[in-house]
Amino acid sequence: MKTLLTNPAGWKSLITFAILFLAWVSGFSARLFAVIRFESIIHEFDPWFNYRATAYMVEHGFYNFLNWFDERAWYPLGRIVGGTVYPGLMVTSGAIHHILHALNIPVHIRDICVFLAPIFSGMTAISTYFLTKELWSPGAGLFACCFIAIVPGYISRSVAGSYDNEGIAIFALQFTYYLWVKSIKTGSVFWSVLTALSYFYMVSAWGGYVFIINLIPLHVFLLLIMGRYSYRLFTSYTVFYILGLVLSMQIPFVGFQPIRTSEHMAASGVFALVMAAGTFNYIQTRITKAEFKFIFIFATLVTSGIVLLAVIGLTWAGVIAPWSGRFYSLWDTTYAKIHIPIIASVSEHQPTTWFSFFFDLHILVCIFPAGLWYCIQEYNDERLFVVLYALSAVYFAGVMVRLMLTLTPAVCILSGIAFSKIFENYLKEDGPVTSNGTKTVEEKQPSKDKTPSKSSQSLSSGSGKSKKKPPTIASLNSDNSNGEGVGSNIRSIVTISMLLVLMMFVVHCTWVTSNAYSSPSIVLASFSNDGSRQILDDFREAYYWLSQNTDNDARVMSWWDYGYQIAGMANRTTLVDNNTWNNSHIALVGKAMSSTEPKAYEIMTSLDVDYVLVIFGGVIGYSGDDINKFLWMVRIAEGEHPKDIRESDYFTERGEFRIDSQGSPTMLNCLMYKLSYYRFGDLKLDFRTPAGFDRTRNAVIGNQNFDLTYLEEAYTTEHWLVRIYRVKKPDEFNRPRIPVLERKIRIPGASAISKKSARKKKGIIQGKPTVQKGKKPKATNTYTNGL
Amino acid sequence: MYLKTIILSAFIILNSLVESAREERPKSLDQKVQQLNDLYQKKFLVKFNGPKFKEFVKSPPRNYSVIMMFTAMASHRQCSICGHASDEFMIVANSYRYSHRLTESPLYFGIVDFDEGSDIFQLLRINTAPVFMHFPAKGKPKPLDTMDIQRVGFASEMIAKWIQERTDVQIRIFRPPNYSSTLALSILFAICSSFLYIRRNNMEMFFNKNLWGVFSVLFCLNMISGQMWNHIRGPPLMHRNQQGIITYIHNSSQGQFIVETYIIIILNTILVFGAVIMIDSHTKKTDSKTRKIMTVGGLALVVFLFSVILSIFKSKAHGYPYSFLIK
Repeated sequence: MKTLLTNPAGWKSLITFAILFLAWVSGFSARLFAVIRFESIIHEFDPWFNYRATAYMVEHGFYNFLNWFDERAWYPLGRIVGGTVYPGLMVTSGAIHHILHALNIPVHIRDICVFLAPIFSGMTAISTYFLTKELWSPGAGLFACCFIAIVPGYISRSVAGSYDNEGIAIFALQFTYYLWVKSIKTGSVFWSVLTALSYFYMVSAWGGYVFIINLIPLHVFLLLIMGRYSYRLFTSYTVFYILGLVLSMQIPFVGFQPIRTSEHMAASGVFALVMAAGTFNYIQTRITKAEFKFIFIFATLVTSGIVLLAVIGLTWAGVIAPWSGRFYSLWDTTYAKIHIPIIASVSEHQPTTWFSFFFDLHILVCIFPAGLWYCIQEYNDERLFVVLYALSAVYFAGVMVRLMLTLTPAVCILSGIAFSKIFENYLKEDGPVTSNGTKTVEEKQPSKDKTPSKSSQSLSSGSGKSKKKPPTIASLNSDNSNGEGVGSNIRSIVTISMLLVLMMFVVHCTWVTSNAYSSPSIVLASFSNDGSRQILDDFREAYYWLSQNTDNDARVMSWWDYGYQIAGMANRTTLVDNNTWNNSHIALVGKAMSSTEPKAYEIMTSLDVDYVLVIFGGVIGYSGDDINKFLWMVRIAEGEHPKDIRESDYFTERGEFRIDSQGSPTMLNCLMYKLSYYRFGDLKLDFRTPAGFDRTRNAVIGNQNFDLTYLEEAYTTEHWLVRIYRVKKPDEFNRPRIPVLERKIRIPGASAISKKSARKKKGIIQGKPTVQKGKKPKATNTYTNGL
Repeated sequence: MYLKTIILSAFIILNSLVESAREERPKSLDQKVQQLNDLYQKKFLVKFNGPKFKEFVKSPPRNYSVIMMFTAMASHRQCSICGHASDEFMIVANSYRYSHRLTESPLYFGIVDFDEGSDIFQLLRINTAPVFMHFPAKGKPKPLDTMDIQRVGFASEMIAKWIQERTDVQIRIFRPPNYSSTLALSILFAICSSFLYIRRNNMEMFFNKNLWGVFSVLFCLNMISGQMWNHIRGPPLMHRNQQGIITYIHNSSQGQFIVETYIIIILNTILVFGAVIMIDSHTKKTDSKTRKIMTVGGLALVVFLFSVILSIFKSKAHGYPYSFLIK
C-alpha cells in the first residue's frame, strides 16, 4: 500500500488519467449551453439534412440508405443521396444507436445525433494528447489536450446539436495524424495499417480528407529533400498510400477521384519518388560511386520528364480532372469572388480577420509561433510534420474562415509545447535536481491540472481540491533556491502570471461559447429590458404549419438556405437546398424571386411550385432575412440569365440598395419585395415609428399598398419571421373578383338580343323548375364563396 | 505582324461596312462611317473636339453607337485618376478591336479631353472627369447611359460589363500581360541562383534552423494578423472621420484597416520574442543576472503585450466583458 502511494510512476499515470478525464468532462459540458437553454434540438441548416439521412438509415437499413434516391429534394430533378454524401457521420451515430438498442437502452436517434459532437470532442482531446506526447512530451500533451477541449475555434463546430461532419472529422484527423507519427517513428506495418484505416474513417466522414492526403505526402517529400530517407519512411508511406487509396475508393461519393483528380496527384507523385529513392538506395550498395552518379542523373531526368509529360497529357485528355473551383479558390484567392458567386456568397468562405483569429484562439494564437520556433530548433522527423501542419493550416485559415477548424488542433499542439516549456523551466527547482526526470514531470502536472479544473469550475460545480495544490508546490519550490537560478520570487511571479493568463483564456472560452456559438439558430431568443427572455419559435411554427396543412407532395419554393430545414422539419418537397450542386437550378429560383410577379409566375408554374416561403425579419429586427440576402439571389440569377436580371437595376441611381420610397422601381416590384412586405404597410409596430417601418433596415417601406395577383398569403407566423404564400392555379386569378358595385350585369333585353329576331319573347323550357326569387339555397351560397 | 493583321482586318471591316451602309443609307452616313473608320485606322481611340463631336455623335443619321470618355489628361488639371481610367478604357477599346468586326451595330470608342473640347463638356453639363458615356445609335443618352464609376469603379471588366448592359455587345477583356511581376520574379530568381552559385561550396545555410524558424514564424504572424484579408478585400490604410480625427482601429469586428494589422503584427512579433527569451533564459548558459533580466523582460513583454492586444480586441468586440491589466 505504501509503495503504491509513494511510487511516482503510479501518481503520474493517475494524474494524467485524471486530467484527461477532466478535460473530456469539461469539454463535454462546455458544449451543452444550447441544450440547457433551449432543448435537445438539431441546429442550423446542414445538420438537419444529416439528421434526416441518419433517421432514414436507421429506419431502412444501410443498403437502402446507400441506394436512396430522394425525390423530395431538387424537384423535379431529385437527388441520389447515397452517392452524394460522406456516410461516416450517419454510420457512426447509426452504429451507436444499434449498440445501445442491443443493450436495451432505448435512446432516440435524435439524442444521439445531438450529443455526438460533444462526445467526439472528448476523443479529439485525447488523441491530441497522444499526438503531442509523441511529438514532444507528456506535459505538452496534457496542455494541448486541455486547450483543445475548450478552445472556441473547435467548439464553434461541435456544440451539442450541431450534428455535422466536422464534429467527428476533427477527431479522425487528429487520430490519423497520431497514427502517422507513430508509424513514421516505428516504421512498423502495424501502425501504418492503422493509419490507413483511420484515414478511411476520415474519408468517409468529411471532404477535408484531402488535407491529409496532401499533408502526409508533403511531409514525406520534405523528409526526402532533407535527405532523411529511411526504411521506416519507406514502409510507413507505401503501406499507408496503397491501403489508403484502395480504402478511400470504397466510399461511393469519392469513387475514382483518388486516381483521377489533381487534388490527389501529389500523393501518387510522392509515392513514385519514394519508390525511386528506395531503388537508388538499393543500387547504391551494388555499384561504384561514379556509375551511381551517372545512373542517378540520367534516371532522374528521364523519369521526371516522363512523369511530367504523362500528367500533362492525361490532364489534357481529360482523364485527370483539373482542380475543382472550391480548391482552386484557396490558391488564387480572388478567383471565387469573380467567378463563383455561389461560393463567395457563403459567409464561411470569407477570409479571416485578425479579430476572428483572436476571438477563436485567444492567447494560443499569440503564443503558438513560439512553439513553432522550438519545433524547428529541435527538429526531427515527426516535429517537421507538425511544422508543416501548422504552416499549411495557418495559410488555409487565413484564406477561409471555416478552415480555422483545421488550424485549431495545430495551434493547440504548438502552444501546448510553448506553455509546457515555460512551466517546465519555472516550476522546476533550480540547481542540479534537473537530472531526475520523473520528479520534474511530476511537479509540472499539478499546475496543468488547473486548466481543466478551472473550466469545469466556471461551467459546473467547482472542484476545491485542485485549487489547493499549486500553493503547496510553490512553497515547496521556494524552500531551496540557490544562486544559480533566477530566484524563487521571480519563478513564482512567472508561474502566477502565466496561470492568470491561462485563466483569462478559460474565462474567454466560456464566454465565447456561451454568447457566440450556442445558438441553435432555428429557435431565437430575445431579451427584453427587464432581462426576461422571449423565445421566438417562428421557424418551427411555420414548418409545422406546412407539415399539417399542405398536401403531402406539395412543392415549396424558398431560397436554398432553408431547403434542408423544410425537408427535415416539414417533410415537404423543395426545389433547392443547401447541397448547392446545381447552380442553374438555384439561379432559376433566384430569377423567380427577383422578377416581377407575372414573370415569376411563369417560372413557378413551369417548376410546379405550390407554396413560396420567405423569411422576413422586418418586424423583430432579424438581420439574416431574405431581403438582406437578396443581392446574392440577384447576382446568382444574373450569372445564368444576364439578359433578364441585372444587378444594377436593383440599386438606386446613387448605387444604394434601398427598400424605402427612393429604392429603384425594379426592386420595389420584384417578387421577393412583395412577398416580404405584403400587408406590412398596414402594420404599426409601436407609437414612435410610422406604419410600415422595417426594423431591420430602419426605413419605411417604399411600396406600401399593393395586392398580389398570382399568389395569396397562406400563413404568417407570430412575429412575421416566416411568411408562406400559396401559388394560385390559373383559373383562380384569370377571373378576378369584381366588387359588387362595379359589376355590370347585362340586362337581358336591350342590346344583347340579336337584331335578327324582332320578338322579345324568351324561350321556354319544358318542365322548367320554378325557383322562388331572392331565396337562394344556403348550401350553394357558401359553396360559391368557398371557391 | 500584329499591325499587318490589324490593318488587313480593318480593311475587310471597312469594306463590308461601306457595302452594308451603301444599301440602306444615303451618302452622309456612308461618308461619316468611312471617315470614322479612317480615323480608327490611325488610332483605336478617336479623339473628338467640338465640331467633330457635333458631326459624328450629335447629328442624327447614325447606325453606330459611341462609347465616350470625358477626361482631363493635361498635367495642370491634376486629375490623377484620369490616367488610370484612360488606361483601362484603352484596354477595353483594344480588346473590342481585336475580337469584333464592325459589321452590325458597330461601336466606336472616343475620347474628349477638356482642354480640346470644353464646349462639349458645357453642352452635356459635365463638370467632373473622368465620365464614361454611351451615345446610342438612336435617340439621346438616358441617365443609365452614364456609367456609375462611384459604385462600380472603372476597371476594364466593369466597363465591358456596362457596355454589354447598354449595347448587348459582349467584349472579352484581353489585358496586355503585365510583365512587371514576371520581371520581378526573374530578377529574384537570378539573384537567388547567383547567390547559390557563389555559395555553392557551402550549402550550410539551408540547414540553418534559425533562418527557417524566422521564416515560418513570420509567415504565421503574417497570416494571423489578417494580411490575407487585406490582400483579398483591399481595405483603406486608415480612416478619417468627419471631424478629421484619424482612427487606426476599425470600429467593428467585421473589418480592419491596414495600419491596424501592422500594429497587431508588431505586437505579436514582440510577444513571441518575449516568450522565446523567457524560455531561452533557462536553456542558454548564461550567468544569473542576465538570466533574471531575460526572464523578467520576457515575462513583462508577454503579459503586457497580451493585455494590449486584449484591450484592442475588447474595443472592437462590443460587450466583451474581460480585460487584463489594461482596460
